Amino acid sequence: MEAQVTHGPIAATQVLSGSLRDVILALLLLVVALCVVLAGWAGWFVARDRAVILNQLWGGAVVEAFVLVQGVVAVVQGANGAGAADPLLFWGYYATTLVILPVAAAWAFAERTKWSSVVLLVASLTVAFLEWRMWQIWTGA
Amino acid sequence: MMEQRSAGRRTGRGFGRVLVTVYGILAFAALGRSSYELVVKFDEAPVAYTLSTLAAVVYVLATFALAIGTPAWRLTAWITVGIEAVGVVTVGALSLADAQAFGESTVWSGFGQGYGYVPLVLPFVGLWWLWRTSRSTSEERTA
Repeated sequence: MEAQVTHGPIAATQVLSGSLRDVILALLLLVVALCVVLAGWAGWFVARDRAVILNQLWGGAVVEAFVLVQGVVAVVQGANGAGAADPLLFWGYYATTLVILPVAAAWAFAERTKWSSVVLLVASLTVAFLEWRMWQIWTGA
Repeated sequence: MMEQRSAGRRTGRGFGRVLVTVYGILAFAALGRSSYELVVKFDEAPVAYTLSTLAAVVYVLATFALAIGTPAWRLTAWITVGIEAVGVVTVGALSLADAQAFGESTVWSGFGQGYGYVPLVLPFVGLWWLWRTSRSTSEERTA
């Protein structure tokens, strides 16, 4: 049961919502891809018995920046009356996704062994998983 | 030096860093889940959602206790991780025997099935790590 609420000129809103939906999916796939790359980078470091380096944290910051863009798009889409099927659940997941990488990065960087790379690996894969869950919630699946 | 020896190894270092990370993520998941349930649909299954809230609090406490890892917090870690081990096995078994035992599913239902069985594995890894870090001071390499 999805109530299709429309505000303002219907045609304009629907065109905007349609294109924004594509933007949301593209952003999501981009974030997932970046997370997988970051996880792969961290995994390679685990295999090489190396600790997390600053460049990997910059990689995490890039992921984080795109997650922030996702938030802006989600707010705009929501304002157009075409937001998540369950907004409270969606924003709960969003908040978790936003917090995980910075906290994990700080936590990992204080450890100078390969275990810090495992922390980054776990955090990246978790964000990728949460992105997938957010898409499920967004589309009401 | 002597103080460090008697305190054992810090539970938040080395492999413990990964353990705390996974605990933190699970704490977040449990906390988010229980907050949502309390706000949106507490009346539907008060027992299940109270249990979810209890589990969330225990996960948060365990995360902090393992992360800090000082002797005083080590006791808190033993207790909270122990509660989780007992909780997930008990609730898991009860939910298996009677799917409607708690009215609704919880973090611990089906032995943590909804969370990839992480809630089942984690407390036992946690207990092993607490035991390992408390006794390994003698075999520890001096860095």
